[in-house]
Formats: sequence, C-alpha cells, structure tokens
Amino acid sequence: MIYAEHLRKEFKKTIKDPGLKGSFKALFKPKKEIVVAAKDVSFHVPEGEILGFIGPNGAGKSTVIKMLTGILTPTSGECRINGKIPTNDRKKYVREIGAVFGQRTQLWWDLPLQETYNVLKEIYEVDDESFKKRMAFLSEVLELDKFIRSPVRTLSLGQRMRADIAASMLHSPKVLFLDEPTIGLDVVVKDNIRQAIMKLNKEEKTTVILTTHDISDIELLCDRIVMIDKGKNVYDGSLHELRENFGQTRELVFETVDPKALTEEKFRKGLTLDESDLEIKKENNSFRVRFNSKKLPVGEMLSYTLSLTKVKDISVKDADVEEIIRSLYRQGVTADE
Amino acid sequence: MRRIWKIYRLLAAQNLKRIMEYRADFLTGAVSFLIDQAVGIAFIFIIFTQIPQLSGFTFPQILFIYGFSQIPKGLDHLLTDNLWCVGYFIVRKGDFDKYLIRPINPLFHVIAETFQVDAVGELIVGFGLLIYASPDAGLHITVWTVLLSVIAVPFAALIYTSLKIMTSALAFWMKSSGFIIQMVYGMNEFSKYPTTIYSLPVRIFVTYIIPFAFTGYYLSQYILTGNDPWFNIGGVIVISSVLFVISIFIWNKGISAYESAGA
Amino acid sequence: MNNIRRRYVPFMKAGIQNLVIYRLNFLGFVIGGLIYCFVMFYLWKAVFDSNGGGAFLGFSMTDMVIYLFLSNTTGQLIFSGVSNDVGEEIRDGSITMRLLKPVNTDLSYMFTELGTVMMKLVVLLLPMILGLETYRYFISGALMFSPVNFLIYLMSAVLAYIISFRVNLCFGFIAFYVKNLWGIGILKNSVINFLSGSLIPLAFMPDGLRVCLEYLPFASMSYTPVMIYMGKYGTYEMLFRIGIQIVWAILMYGLSKLIWFGSIKKLCIQGG
Repeated sequence: MIYAEHLRKEFKKTIKDPGLKGSFKALFKPKKEIVVAAKDVSFHVPEGEILGFIGPNGAGKSTVIKMLTGILTPTSGECRINGKIPTNDRKKYVREIGAVFGQRTQLWWDLPLQETYNVLKEIYEVDDESFKKRMAFLSEVLELDKFIRSPVRTLSLGQRMRADIAASMLHSPKVLFLDEPTIGLDVVVKDNIRQAIMKLNKEEKTTVILTTHDISDIELLCDRIVMIDKGKNVYDGSLHELRENFGQTRELVFETVDPKALTEEKFRKGLTLDESDLEIKKENNSFRVRFNSKKLPVGEMLSYTLSLTKVKDISVKDADVEEIIRSLYRQGVTADE
Repeated sequence: MRRIWKIYRLLAAQNLKRIMEYRADFLTGAVSFLIDQAVGIAFIFIIFTQIPQLSGFTFPQILFIYGFSQIPKGLDHLLTDNLWCVGYFIVRKGDFDKYLIRPINPLFHVIAETFQVDAVGELIVGFGLLIYASPDAGLHITVWTVLLSVIAVPFAALIYTSLKIMTSALAFWMKSSGFIIQMVYGMNEFSKYPTTIYSLPVRIFVTYIIPFAFTGYYLSQYILTGNDPWFNIGGVIVISSVLFVISIFIWNKGISAYESAGA
Repeated sequence: MNNIRRRYVPFMKAGIQNLVIYRLNFLGFVIGGLIYCFVMFYLWKAVFDSNGGGAFLGFSMTDMVIYLFLSNTTGQLIFSGVSNDVGEEIRDGSITMRLLKPVNTDLSYMFTELGTVMMKLVVLLLPMILGLETYRYFISGALMFSPVNFLIYLMSAVLAYIISFRVNLCFGFIAFYVKNLWGIGILKNSVINFLSGSLIPLAFMPDGLRVCLEYLPFASMSYTPVMIYMGKYGTYEMLFRIGIQIVWAILMYGLSKLIWFGSIKKLCIQGG
C-alpha cells in the first residue's frame, strides 16, 4: 500500500552570524548551509493499518509526511502509494489521499464551514448522491452539526480540527495523513477526535499515518509505530514491544517537608538497582526519581520513599515519546552515523 | 474545461461572499486605486497646461494611450492578484502546501481563489479615459482596428500575468520574491506614455525584455493610426504567448523546488 | 540623556538589523524608485523638448533631473513605516504589549526607524548626491555643490522626517476604524506624492493651488528640503520655509499625541 524507500530531503539555509557585524556580513555575502531534514527513512504500511509515526522535535516527521503527500520532492529515495509516485502524478494521486496538518487549516477562513465542503465537493468531483451520504456520515462521526453554519474563524480549535478532518475525508480517500491532529486540544476533545479516527479506520478501511507527541494517541490508535530520530529510522514495531523493551522507565516526583531527608546516597544504597536503572535529580523541595520499573515495581519505590520521610505530594509521570527515545539511546539501539 | 469553469465560478462566488462581508474594506481599496489614478491624470493635465503637444501627441491622444494601458493592467489586477501573496508570504509561510494536495492545477487554484475588486479603480479610469478622449484623439476606426484591439487586450493582460507568474515563482527558491515582483511590475510605468519618448536602449528593454510597451503604447497605436497591425497587435499576441509558456515552465520547476515551511 | 541613549539604542540597532534582513525588499524599493525616476526623466525630457528645449517655469532640464532624483531619494530617506507597524499592532492587538513596556511608545517606534534612516543616509543619499553632482559637473562644466545648502538641506530633512513620522503615526491609528490597511496605504502614498510635490514640482502647479500646497504639511516633507538643496530659495525665504516646517512638526506632534491618548481610552473601553 505505502512504500517509503530511503527517503532523503535536503534544504538550503542561509545562516547569519549574531550581532550587527554579522548582519553586515550577511548583507554582502550570505552564507549557505545544507540542512538534511530527512537522511534515510524507509517503511511500509499495509492497507487498513493505523501507523504511528513518531520522533522528537526536529526528527524530520513533517518532512517525511510532506514527501509522502507530494508537497515536497525527495532529494533522493522513492515513495510509492497505491503504486503511484506522489510528485509525478500529483493530480491523480491526491484524489486518493486526505491530509490534515494540525498547525494550519485548509478551510475557507471567512466563510461558513458548509461552504468549504461545497467547494471541495466540486474540486474532488464528488457526485451529489455520495456527497449527501458522506456529509451525513461525517457530521455524525465528527459532530459537525452544531457549527456547520458558523464562519470558520469563529470555531474553537477542537471544532476546527474536526472540521479539517471532515474536509480531508470528504472524497473517501484510501489514505489519510494526520500531522499532529491533537496538538493543543484538551483531553475531552482529544478523545472525541481519536474516536472519530478509529471509526473512519474501521468502517472504511482507511489507512492512516499519524504523527503525534502524545503517547496516548499512539496507545489508543496505533497498530504499529515507526520511530525516527535525526532523519533516520530508529524503531519499527508495535508499541507494546517497544514498551516492553525500552519504555519501562517511570518518573516519580516527591514534594517533601524536609528536603534533607532524601538523598541520592540513600536510594543508591537502599535499593537493588543498577547504576543505569536509576537517575535522581533534586530541585529545592522536589525530588525526582527516574527508574526502571521492570527491575523495581512502582509500589516498592513508593513505599521505600515513604519510609524515609514525610511526603507532601507525589506525581507519577508515564514514559512519553521523548522518554522512550532517551532510553533507546541509553541502551545503544539507535542507528549510528 | 467545463469543470475548470465551474470550479472557477464557485471559488469566485466564495470570494464575492467574503467581499460582501467586508464591504467597507473593499470600497476603501477601490476608492484608493481610483484616487491613485486621478493623481496620475492630474499630472498629465498640469503638464498640458504648459505645452500643447508632447512628442507630437496631443492631450487627448496621451490620455487615450494612458487610459488604454490601464485596461489590461486592471484586468490582470482583477483576476490574478493572489500571485502577489505567493511571492510575499504564501510560499514563505508554507501555506502553499494546501494547493499541492488538491486534484486541480495549483496555479489555477491560486489564481481562482482571489478576485480583486480594487482593480475597478483602474478599469473605471481606463474606460473613462477611452470614452472621454476618443472623440478628439483622431482615432482610425474600422471594423478591423476595433476588433483586433479588443482581441489584443486579454493578451496584453497576459503579459502582466506571465511576468507575475515568473517573478512570484522565484519565491519557491528564494522563500520570498515580493521585491522582485514589485520591481518588475513597477516597470509598467513605462507603458503609460508613448514609447517614443524613451531613449533607444530603454525602448528595446520595454519592448523585448520586460515588454510592457505592448500593454499600452503599441496596443493603442494600431487604433490610433491604423498602422502596423503585424507589430502592434501581432506583437502583443506573440510576445505574451512566448512569455506565458516560459512563465509556466519556471512555475513548474519552482513547484518541485518548493521547501514548505518548518521542515 | 544618557538614560535615553541606554534605553533606546537597542531599538535603533534592531532597526538597522531589520533593514539588513529585509535588504532585498529594500533593494526592490530603491530600484523601483529609480525606475520611476527614469520614466519621469524621459517624460520631462519630452516635455522640455516639446517646449523648445529651454527653461520651463524657472527649471532647466538639469534642475529637473536633480529635482526628480533628489526628491525621490529624500522621499525614501524620510519614509516612515510607522503607519503599517502601528496598524498591524492595532489589528492583531499586540499594541497592548507595547503599552506594557517601560518606554515611551512613540519614541520606541521612532528609534527603531532612526536606525534604518541612518543606513539609508549612508547607502542611498550620499551616493545619490555624489552621482547628481557629477552629472551636474559634466553638464555645466563647473562644480556647483554648495556645502552650506547641503547642511541646511540635512537639517530641513530632519524636520521633514519628524513631520513624516507624525503624519504616518496618525495614519496608523486609522486601523482602529478600517481593516484594509493596504488600500489606505496606496491612497496615502499617492496623495502624499502629489501634495508634497514629489510627483510634480509645486512651482508648476496653478498659482492658487500652489500657494495652498506650500503651506500644507506635505510640502514640508520633501519639497522644502529639495528646493533648499537646489538653492532655489533666498535666505529670507529659506528661513520662512524652515519656520513653517517647525510649526508643522509641533502641530503634528500635538495631533498624534491627542489621537494616541484618545485611542488608549478606546483600547481600555474595548478591553484590548
């Protein structure tokens, strides 16, 4: 269905030295630098799968998505979706895909939402009959009814995102690209959007590629994840597997009454954890413990700490994408230069 | 073709709805351009209070040339104004992405999206001057001169459009090319007056390099004198077509060099 | 004074850097202006030729060339983008952020711009003067540059800048009422071009109109300094014209302050 083979994208960038002097230099002799946004990314997605495409900021996720959607032409490498090369056969190709970029909208800003769909209907040549059915289906799944007559500029972020997803699904694409579809949304709205994505995937066998920073998006939606870092693949497999191997790190933050009661020494000596499985940071009254929960259950860590001193507050942090990547590094599983 | 027309109508309708919503703003724009034009004409008027003829052209003739030059300019302004935005910020901000994921030609999509009502300032002045100056300009009116002149107008507008396509496409490489559009577009000043007042190198430049002379002087020359239809009218058609083909080539090259934003 | 320097010099540096970052836009502006001058040059040449080649209302062709190019350059030099800046800030509401900073609002705008003005003085005005004087030397065979006139020109140009800044500031406040700033910008530029005499010397206008325009603030914005540079004014008239400039600078200062305080009240009522 989707094949990406050794995708690479380079950008040229003008750089300027800091300060006035640098400005003057740049006035006469701008320096150019080549930035490699994606070095070598390959993966394959079968039909009907939801793929989580993740990586830290600046890893090149958006660049890869933009190559897959035909917005950017790869410097080298190739992608093929349904047997089509996006940039060669743009007009035909884009009929089969939908794309939502969380940071920008494709809706007509000043007009009622319904108008956008009417225009898109013509652009994608959807016939009246299917358009009606489609609108009914999408407004049910994405709950558009409440704001479909309002001008787009008056929509809330969550409404706008739902409207954008509907816009990208109007022509029943086979593949849907979602770049940060839940960015900046609150928990309820996030959940709403996840439900919708799931439903679209189930009922229409739509293949979905999704980038996100939110680990729960991945947990709830994705059959499989591909992780990239610094423009290269670092992991390809299920989230469960990744968690098993690298995602066992938990972080506990204790607010103590007596800051002196907790010391790194006590933890190192009192617990049977290796050097690399425990990391401690102290800031004023808060005490951060990061540890491998496979080696030591969270409960034991809690009871040990509580035995040492009186604790005012405790927070538990789940491993997020950044955290998983950090542990990948610690264990040396990253692709080398 | 029918589909293209249908989509164009639809997009233009959306745009008109927007205009209706911001009526006051669009009125300001149109009035501003009208006053801008009035100032240009006041200038010619003041000159002619001092001299009877300019390089052998009478006051009505100069007004006729000036007025005729504003029609293709206004036509292009009315229809393809969004190209300015491509050069100034659509590419730089990465908003061009949108046009690349739609199953219609991106250039057509960009152009169809805006319908610039400000241009009525130029069109009103253009037609107004033609009507006002025609009786005294000594026109050479035959079926042919009128017919060919009318046919040539869209081609003259195409010269503007092609130059705008070319220069705005440079943004695909340079991120922002607004200043180049501004520079090249600004040369349309040359089209307002008889090309004969310029020195030879300038004349060659505005005839063959940045061919704005065809959008004003040469265009009006045929109906003023009845001479040289091959050069005056044929030239407009040939030069605009060549320019358009080149501009499409540059535009398409540009799209594959497009870097979006935020990498 | 020291305090002012310390607080506002960063704004000035930012202004210079801005010009560098947008150097290509600046270049486009300059070249656009020059193209316009050349069109006007040929037009005037045709006018002079049609008039028999001699002087035209007290202007020789050489005068006309100097007038055209110098008034364009002066226009660029005293150009103030403050109307756009204020307009944008009003439109997106960030003007409230400016109110929060512990600096005088209009001075912070002004110093940002002074940076670019200084740059333009060096990269635009000086080469232009050099070019024009060389041209004049070749035409007339004698060096006609007058350092005294040049210095008074600079002084008058400073006043012109202050007026231009204040006029543009007032224009910027229109954003409280109109959204289409771009259209208003076109309108403002063409009106100023005409009324300030940079399109056509005021001396060529019909008498009644000319007298009117000479007393309006627009003439003070480019016509006065250029005429001073060209030595078209005697000592008495020169002092009189500069006097008018000073009066306008004060009046426009007052007007902009008045609108500014009015607008702040409006801001407070609207709740930002």
